[in-house]
Amino acid sequence: MSEYETRSASGKPRRDDPLGANSEIGKKLREYYDGLMSPDVPDRFTDLLSQLETAESQRKKAGGNE
Amino acid sequence: MSDAGEFKTGLLKAIPSLRAFAVSLSHNSDKADDLVQETLVKAWDKQTSFQPGTNLKAWLFTILRNEFYSQMRKRGREVQDSEGTMTARLAVHPSQHGSLDLKDFRAALERLPEDQREAVVLIGASGFSYEEAAEICGCAVGTIKSRVSRARVRLQELLSIEGEGDYGPDAIAAQVMGSGAAA
Repeated sequence: MSEYETRSASGKPRRDDPLGANSEIGKKLREYYDGLMSPDVPDRFTDLLSQLETAESQRKKAGGNE
Repeated sequence: MSDAGEFKTGLLKAIPSLRAFAVSLSHNSDKADDLVQETLVKAWDKQTSFQPGTNLKAWLFTILRNEFYSQMRKRGREVQDSEGTMTARLAVHPSQHGSLDLKDFRAALERLPEDQREAVVLIGASGFSYEEAAEICGCAVGTIKSRVSRARVRLQELLSIEGEGDYGPDAIAAQVMGSGAAA
């Protein structure tokens, strides 16, 4: 869950935080967003990344590399 | 592992967040996934411009957001998903109680101006700092802060109106009076 915590990248909790853990809007917002966060990655994306990776390594081989 | 391998792992890890952000922008899961696909291709092409050690997720969100707005500009504004087909298709955590509330919340969120909605999502849900959100949106930190605070006020107004009606005429009066100020 740490990835979705409402704090700054430096780890410092925010002071003026209108969406903080205790605010109703903040809670609903995270509930809404968590509902959109499916942990399953569809095949189309894993396939796409593999294709990009393959294309790149072929290009590197063919081009004798940078 | 090679840099490219690490980069790929980073992209994979970011996909759930990217999809969620894309849905919050486009309100449509098909469009959202197309947007994510575009983002991945673009990110791959310009991976040399990513500085390892900096925030990959923020970098990817910036690409996705730019892609979204450039597509919108190209197409002109399309009619949004007013039928809520999105709502029906999205997985909602089964453990969630108060799903009715959540539906109201989503409807309220969709009524916010885009700039306020993205600010509130980046800050309140995606876990970015104000500084990171400002960078993603290409604007000043103060602008993000004011968008978030206007969004919060507007959401409160909308939700008290769309609640179960136990707020009485005061809530309606507040909304009428508040709507001018929130514009």
